[in-house]
Amino acid sequence: MATEGLAAPVAVAKQRSSWAETLVGQLLALLASLGIALLAGSVLIVAYGESPATVYSSILDASMGSADGIGYVLAIATPLIFSALAVAVCFKGGLFNIGVEGQYLVAMVTAAWAEIELGFLPGPILVVVVLLAAMLGGMIWAAVPGILKVKTGAHEVVTTIMMNQIAISLVAWALNFPLKFSNAPPGQNVDLRTDQFPEGGLVGDIGQYFGVTPGAHLSWLLFLAIAAAVIVWFMMRRTRLGYESRAVGSSPGSAKAGGVAIGSTQLRLFLISGALAGLVGMQQILADRGYLPQNYVVFLGFTGIAVAFLGQNNPIGIIFAAILWGVLSRGEVALQIESEVPREFIIILQGILILSVVITYQIAKRRLAARQLQRAGAAGELDDSAGPDESGGPRGPEIGGREAFEAVEGSGT
Amino acid sequence: MTNVEGAGGNGSPPLVVLERITKRFPGVLANDEVDLELRRGEVHALIGENGAGKSTLMRVLYGMYPADGGRIVVRGQEAKIGSPRDAIALGIGMVHQHFVLVDPFTVTENIILGEEGGAVLDVDAARQRVAELAESYAFRVDPRAVVEDLSVGEEQRVEILKALYRGVEILILDEPTAVLTPNETKDLFGNLRKLREAGRTIVFISHKLDEVMEIADRITVLRRGRVVGETRPAETSKAELAEMMVGRPVLFRLEKPRIEIGDPVLRVEGLTGEGKLNGIDLEVRAGEILGVAGVEGNGQRELAESLIGLRTPASGTIELEGTSIAGRSVFDIRNVGVGYIPEDRHEQGLVLNMTLWENAILGRQDDEEFSGTLGVLFIKKIKELAARLVKLFDIRARSVDVTASTLSGGNQQKLILARELETDPRLLIAAQPTRGLDVGAIEFVWKQILEQKAAGRAVLLISAELDEIYALSDRIVTLYEGKITGEFPPDAPPEAIGVGMLGGAKEAVA
Repeated sequence: MATEGLAAPVAVAKQRSSWAETLVGQLLALLASLGIALLAGSVLIVAYGESPATVYSSILDASMGSADGIGYVLAIATPLIFSALAVAVCFKGGLFNIGVEGQYLVAMVTAAWAEIELGFLPGPILVVVVLLAAMLGGMIWAAVPGILKVKTGAHEVVTTIMMNQIAISLVAWALNFPLKFSNAPPGQNVDLRTDQFPEGGLVGDIGQYFGVTPGAHLSWLLFLAIAAAVIVWFMMRRTRLGYESRAVGSSPGSAKAGGVAIGSTQLRLFLISGALAGLVGMQQILADRGYLPQNYVVFLGFTGIAVAFLGQNNPIGIIFAAILWGVLSRGEVALQIESEVPREFIIILQGILILSVVITYQIAKRRLAARQLQRAGAAGELDDSAGPDESGGPRGPEIGGREAFEAVEGSGT
Repeated sequence: MTNVEGAGGNGSPPLVVLERITKRFPGVLANDEVDLELRRGEVHALIGENGAGKSTLMRVLYGMYPADGGRIVVRGQEAKIGSPRDAIALGIGMVHQHFVLVDPFTVTENIILGEEGGAVLDVDAARQRVAELAESYAFRVDPRAVVEDLSVGEEQRVEILKALYRGVEILILDEPTAVLTPNETKDLFGNLRKLREAGRTIVFISHKLDEVMEIADRITVLRRGRVVGETRPAETSKAELAEMMVGRPVLFRLEKPRIEIGDPVLRVEGLTGEGKLNGIDLEVRAGEILGVAGVEGNGQRELAESLIGLRTPASGTIELEGTSIAGRSVFDIRNVGVGYIPEDRHEQGLVLNMTLWENAILGRQDDEEFSGTLGVLFIKKIKELAARLVKLFDIRARSVDVTASTLSGGNQQKLILARELETDPRLLIAAQPTRGLDVGAIEFVWKQILEQKAAGRAVLLISAELDEIYALSDRIVTLYEGKITGEFPPDAPPEAIGVGMLGGAKEAVA
């Protein structure tokens, strides 16, 4: 090893390239998978006897063609950013929080409770209190699987799924009893809902400043979501908690031997994730409806998993992924109006997108690994296996048995 | 280069000839016009440091990598080997360092996997064949056993049998002893001798010179992708081989610094836990290296992990300079001045997909030096530290921003050493510190451990390599079934220590 002179001096300054490269690689991968999804979608469109060009351009037109369209897209993206961040925070620490769904449902209840019970507070204070109540609700719901995980080892996937079911019932109970509207419009058979929240407790519409129709309900929660993404990024990359979380997520053994308290790290991640999840429903009840209805929008938590995945759990990537998701979702409207292609087409398109992302990211990852390897080789530290020690270097063609299993298991966490 | 005519047997024409094989990887020339001849019925050792191109060359022969230049002649005919399947058809098999077995399957099922022959399995017949095959080469393995219940040594036998079942005549073993205990190595060598008697050819990739001297008929030495020599055990020595491998003389015995042995630093009494530790008593003093010898699996891992706080002992005391640390957290124990070199550097040493600078502070992320009260990391300071460690320990890396996974094993170990020694711990626990490293890196690690001693620190060295124990220890104890079975001076004969390792020497010989 130490045969010849010193290694080339290590340049601390020459650091930017590798993460920039990763970013470009991921962006290219995302574009490529979008291309694949659109191509596969074209086949379906043609099967319906329509022209892909027309359908796609109408989707694009509806979503990006006007200020209104963009407003709608961003309003759709807002809760998804929170939701995907909640998923990503846990994922970095090796935890799979399937429970964002339940956490935001509970948070809507706690937020609605705060609106109604504390409605006497002046506007801005009320909003802050309501948002805190939502975050607290999400945290409480996330703390349960977190504590179970840390104390008993109960797998978070199982416990969070169960918590989701309980959350659904909890919302139903809240709407039927403590939060049930006090004065139904006379003589009308209305859906179950809470009372209208006080005007001061709602988040303001910002669409008006950008020429977006109030119907889009674009609110400053979008900025809160972007701020949350930046904060999460900072936390993960620049703080001790993020550092320890990533260590726990990628190598629990090494983290433990390094003195990291795994349980407390995981619990903290769950709480942060729950707080983010708590904000998912706010666009809906504070910007869109102004009350908690019975027919609240569901699946934002599960969609967050897909968006987190599209954004590769990178907070900044998640913002773009959420917007992309918003574009596609907004496209549904265009499909209904302008073509014979059923709206489910969008769901298929989103599905294909996820699948092709799986593939292209893997390819991009290998390319990046190969590049790293090339540099490693140039520095003369190459291992005998022609790949860095035991890492994701070029694998032999014979992957079977245990390795295959490990590959499958490993991809999960 | 000396070309030994007719070595290793009957002087028949070579079975396999590799001619001017060249293999490039991006940025590195792994094999540079390598020539190699394999003869029938020989054990041909292929030695060299990590990165010398041994495995690459054999993967070319096994059809895993296409060569960029040169040709392969098998039994007098030029062969195009495009895949392992082609290689097996030509009677060339390879057993990798990492086994590829299906855990829930039986030995027989694993061996016939891919060679089932027909839609309906005749498992009985297959089992019969496997049993016969195993018997003919003295492989101790039960064809009915389920792989997940087997030891590493047994799994390796299954891998070899898998190759033999496919009629392989040339068997390539990639560092087969790296995962074996001394006894398992002995068994393996017995098997290899049988195979040689039966006229099979074995390529033995290794960097353990003692083993090469013992088992090889011929030895080819690679350095930086080139053949630097070919010889036979009778015509060479370990020192000469090491020099060929590394390109400079290598010291097998380093000078132990003379230093006054001071007060006890670590005192362990009656340490018991989890069935693997049955009342261990130990004492390590300042300026002393205590070597814990023993066959692996006798509690070494549990001992190290209990001392650093990864396990909570059921009973017993652990004192560091008079303060009890038993049952304290890893964090606390590190903070009072204990460094830890884990036996598995991937499982417990490094976070492979994190950068060098991130790995450089693992365990010290709470230091005021590296993070503020709000938990914000001082990245600039951390990178400065990392750059300093990289330079100090001659860690070969492009920058401190690359992930630890891009480093070779030797450089990874250097990074761990650098990190653990940076805090100047009063006690260093070094568990199998040179596992899987090549000669040059071993020498480096040993020097660092001896420097700890010279600085008056206490070192607990746990190693399965007797060579290492002898090279470093001031005092040797043997560990057997979770008990200390003997204490020896550093010049005790290996036979005496061997008895201790097997639990024989209850009373201290020293």
